[in-house]
Amino acid sequence: MVVSLPWASGWFRRQAHRPAAYLNILLTLLAFVHGSLLLQEVFLQGPVDLSYPWLTVADLELDISFSLTLNNLVALELITGLSLFSQVYSLGYMDKEWALARFFALLGFFEGAMSGVVLSDSLFQSYFLLEMLTLSTYLLVGFWYAQPLVVTAARDAFLTKRVGDVLLLMGVVALCSFSGVMGFGDLYAWAAQNNLTSFAATLLGLGLIAGPTGKCAQFPMHLWLDEAMEGPNPASILRNSVVVTCGAIVLLKVMPILQLSPVALAVLLVIGSISAIGGSLVAIAQVDIKRTLSYSTTAHLGLVFIAIALQIPVLALLLLYTHAVSKALLSMSVGGVIASTNCQDITELGGLGSRMPATTTSYLVGGAGLVAFLPLGGFLAMAQGIELLSVRSVPFMAVFLLTNALTALNLVRVFRHVFLGDVLIKSRRAAEVNWQMALPMVALSVVVVLTPVLLVRLESLDGLLAFPLWAAALVVGSGLIGLVAGAVLPLSKAWSRSLNPLLRWFQDLLAYDFYTERFYRITIVNVVAGFSRLAFWFDRNVVDGVLHGVARLSMQSAEGLKLSVSGQSQSYVLTVLVAIVLFLTSVSWFLT
Amino acid sequence: MYLSLLLLIPFLGALALIIWPGSASSARLRELTIVLLAVQCVASFALLLPFDPDQAGLQLVEQARWVHVIGLDYALAVDGLSLPLVLMNGVLCLVAAVASREITNRPRIYFALLLVISGAVNGAFLAQNLLLFFLFYELELIPLWLLIAVWGGANRAYAATKFLIVTAVSGVLILLAFLGLALVTGTMDFSLRPILSGEMGMTSQLVLMGALLIGFGIKIPLFPFHTWLPDAHTEASTPVSVLLAGVLLKLGTYGLLRFCLGLFPEAWQVASPWLAGWAAISVLYGSLAAIAQTDMKRMVAYSSVGHMGYVLLAAAAATPLGLMGALFQMVSHGLISGVLFLAVGVVYARTGTRDLNVLRGLLNPERGLPLTGSLMIIGVMASAGIPGMAGFISEFLIFRGSLQPFPLATLLSMVGSGLTAVYFLLLVNRAFFGRLAIAAGAVVNPRILQSVPLREQVPAIALTLGVLVLGLAPELLSGLSEAATTSLSQLSGGLS
Repeated sequence: MVVSLPWASGWFRRQAHRPAAYLNILLTLLAFVHGSLLLQEVFLQGPVDLSYPWLTVADLELDISFSLTLNNLVALELITGLSLFSQVYSLGYMDKEWALARFFALLGFFEGAMSGVVLSDSLFQSYFLLEMLTLSTYLLVGFWYAQPLVVTAARDAFLTKRVGDVLLLMGVVALCSFSGVMGFGDLYAWAAQNNLTSFAATLLGLGLIAGPTGKCAQFPMHLWLDEAMEGPNPASILRNSVVVTCGAIVLLKVMPILQLSPVALAVLLVIGSISAIGGSLVAIAQVDIKRTLSYSTTAHLGLVFIAIALQIPVLALLLLYTHAVSKALLSMSVGGVIASTNCQDITELGGLGSRMPATTTSYLVGGAGLVAFLPLGGFLAMAQGIELLSVRSVPFMAVFLLTNALTALNLVRVFRHVFLGDVLIKSRRAAEVNWQMALPMVALSVVVVLTPVLLVRLESLDGLLAFPLWAAALVVGSGLIGLVAGAVLPLSKAWSRSLNPLLRWFQDLLAYDFYTERFYRITIVNVVAGFSRLAFWFDRNVVDGVLHGVARLSMQSAEGLKLSVSGQSQSYVLTVLVAIVLFLTSVSWFLT
Repeated sequence: MYLSLLLLIPFLGALALIIWPGSASSARLRELTIVLLAVQCVASFALLLPFDPDQAGLQLVEQARWVHVIGLDYALAVDGLSLPLVLMNGVLCLVAAVASREITNRPRIYFALLLVISGAVNGAFLAQNLLLFFLFYELELIPLWLLIAVWGGANRAYAATKFLIVTAVSGVLILLAFLGLALVTGTMDFSLRPILSGEMGMTSQLVLMGALLIGFGIKIPLFPFHTWLPDAHTEASTPVSVLLAGVLLKLGTYGLLRFCLGLFPEAWQVASPWLAGWAAISVLYGSLAAIAQTDMKRMVAYSSVGHMGYVLLAAAAATPLGLMGALFQMVSHGLISGVLFLAVGVVYARTGTRDLNVLRGLLNPERGLPLTGSLMIIGVMASAGIPGMAGFISEFLIFRGSLQPFPLATLLSMVGSGLTAVYFLLLVNRAFFGRLAIAAGAVVNPRILQSVPLREQVPAIALTLGVLVLGLAPELLSGLSEAATTSLSQLSGGLS
């Protein structure tokens, strides 16, 4: 019921305008309130499982099942809450949009699918909903379908996720065949006493991580998130915060199954590390304000992947929650900048700080929440992480700290560009955003500030604050290094593209995202296109060619036979009879 | 008597249309046909009342001696395998008639042929006598040939002739196999029952099954017997395409399950690894060839080649789940390709082209075809196997049912499912996204596209609803057929 609330609203009102938006907001609010009531109940009385049979065929039994545990409900609250904020926000942002109702319908669909994913208690259902998420992402990114960049962005978003999803489907189908069950609880039980060959387990594990890799925009399937920024900003808010969270939560749910395959876990670690460090580096080289954020999302989710690969679910969840609220706030703030300046290039912006106080504050608060700023959520998560990692795997501590420093550097750099400095031409007439956008920003800022309190209260984690001082010092230190580096980094225009060839090469490498796009084009796109051309050529020339050859041959022999035509019907009948007799004898000889 | 009604309504209706005195307008004839087909459709759905889904065997049997000397008897019956197909035939024929609003050339014959096809297809699905099946199988050929040859596009003569010759070969092969069966078993009794090794050597079984396999493989169509299909689709008018893809191809897959698997379970088991490989090739080949197409209709046609390959894959595995998936795929493909062809038909009617290099931005709300575009997107996504729609259920069942016996072929077919997303996304992105009529080079249609009245979209909307309903409540279909597919699977020892 919780799930269907926001979802249902998506379907049936595409044509109405504002009322549709209001209704959707109302339903999301209802879902949020309902979710909080449930949360309270579960908090007091323990988790509840709901299950309804859906499809039973032969030896396959599929259920619709939800697991109302504390973690799942917190994630649900996160989703409905952020969705509520971004819906109010889009009332302001999409003020003059003609297809507002369609936008809200899609948002409702989107939100419904996400709520379902986090509550889902079966792998099949999770796949089902993840795929719907793929579809709704495609439609949302492609919302302004008349713009060429949007068209490619939507295509890439869909296809990249689809690659991940097809691999995931292979994993799901294989798992379903091997184990015969789909509920997570049953799967864990099966995994505990598995008897798979290591090869099968490896393939299975790789399949299972491919889906979340695509969803969470991890290397090498990260390009779509960046391109998807062409879509409407309110959807970007959700995409950068909760959609990636959904992917990670699915990964978290299959974590016990991944343990079967050490290779998959290693791959997960590699993916996470590359995404974390690579993502933060690439973010620094971007000049598009939205892209700086999207790459930092990739980087943070990389940290989550590392946490999952090292089997530390607590850390993964902490990182996810703190990241989601802060990143949503940052995205809102950035959206505000774009809405009032119509400009996304940070080198063309400046001095917005005094003109847009609410937006600036949100940026600061969001940024502080994201990097390990002392009492906020990000700090708690990071410090906890360092402490947990120190006993498990020290090298990844370095990854965490480096990512934190680079993120801080990036955020400070963007802040200096956009909000400080001289007022440039494009930001001359910028004014503060309208109240529909400001309200959610302010509200979410409060939430970010309160996150540590909420975490301590909600998560029954005894050790949330129990990290040693040195961990805290390391985290704060890394943040400070980034901060200082970002603050002293020269921002002059001349530096935005260096003349030093080596530096320039490096800059370009990062700015163009390690040339991943070109790499795709050369490899997978070319291969598929090549094969398709080959198939088409083969079709026209070989398959059809043989057919035409046979036809020509028979025409020619008919021409030849024409000469033996006598005009007597008896001879025809005789020919036919002889043919039939010959045929039947041959058949009977052959068959007996 | 009940099943005969499903044949009598269309056949007598066709006769009535032909001999209807005086001159009747095309619109009047269409209305009449719609009424007849609606009655037939309702009558098909009324079969659900007496039908017992828990019973695996034949139901509502009707039998009468006919030309008994050559083994041709009139025997009809329905089971879980044929019932969904009969229902789909009822729906799609009605849709085709509703969509035939622009027939000005000899409407009387056109609608009569439509009715004949509908009756013949029902006959083929219901026939329980091999010769009777063959009779109906051939009976549907001639009207379809005429429908393409007379009411088709510019290159219709080539396409229609190709269709006729190639599918006639298919008919000959099937007849040969049936005759061979009679020769070997020594009886002229063509009633359907599995041939077991006691009665016939494995070689003979394989030869006869091979003939059937190629015969139905042409009809399905499977690589390399598929080239007639894109040509036929390109030249056929929209309603005929709907029928061709939705109903007539299913005769091939139905034959595959009913005769190849049903009559030669042992030979089938021997051949199944090869069949799975063939299926994977067909899937990949169809999908790859579809990517290279620039004509929307050809693209959808090649997608049929790929998607029918899944049916062969599942049939080869012959697990209960796989067979259910195969049946589900037949129905969902029928509905989905109906939606796609109807949408393409609207685009072609409004813009005069189906060329993806030229079309742009058709989703434009004022000057474009927004509703058609939305239906197209849903159809495309259903075809690509996005959950919530019928295509996903069938793909999941097929993959799950075939993975254990044939892991490699199944994984390759899944890649094909990913490729479906590639070509259909290309289609939507090129034709519907972007800006209207600013394509480089020739501007298709500078004037405002005439908007499509809602009532013309009713068939496509209805089919789309069907796709969604089956996708969300698959039990509706699986419940009907589970007993039948399970017993078919046990026949070939597919449970192992």
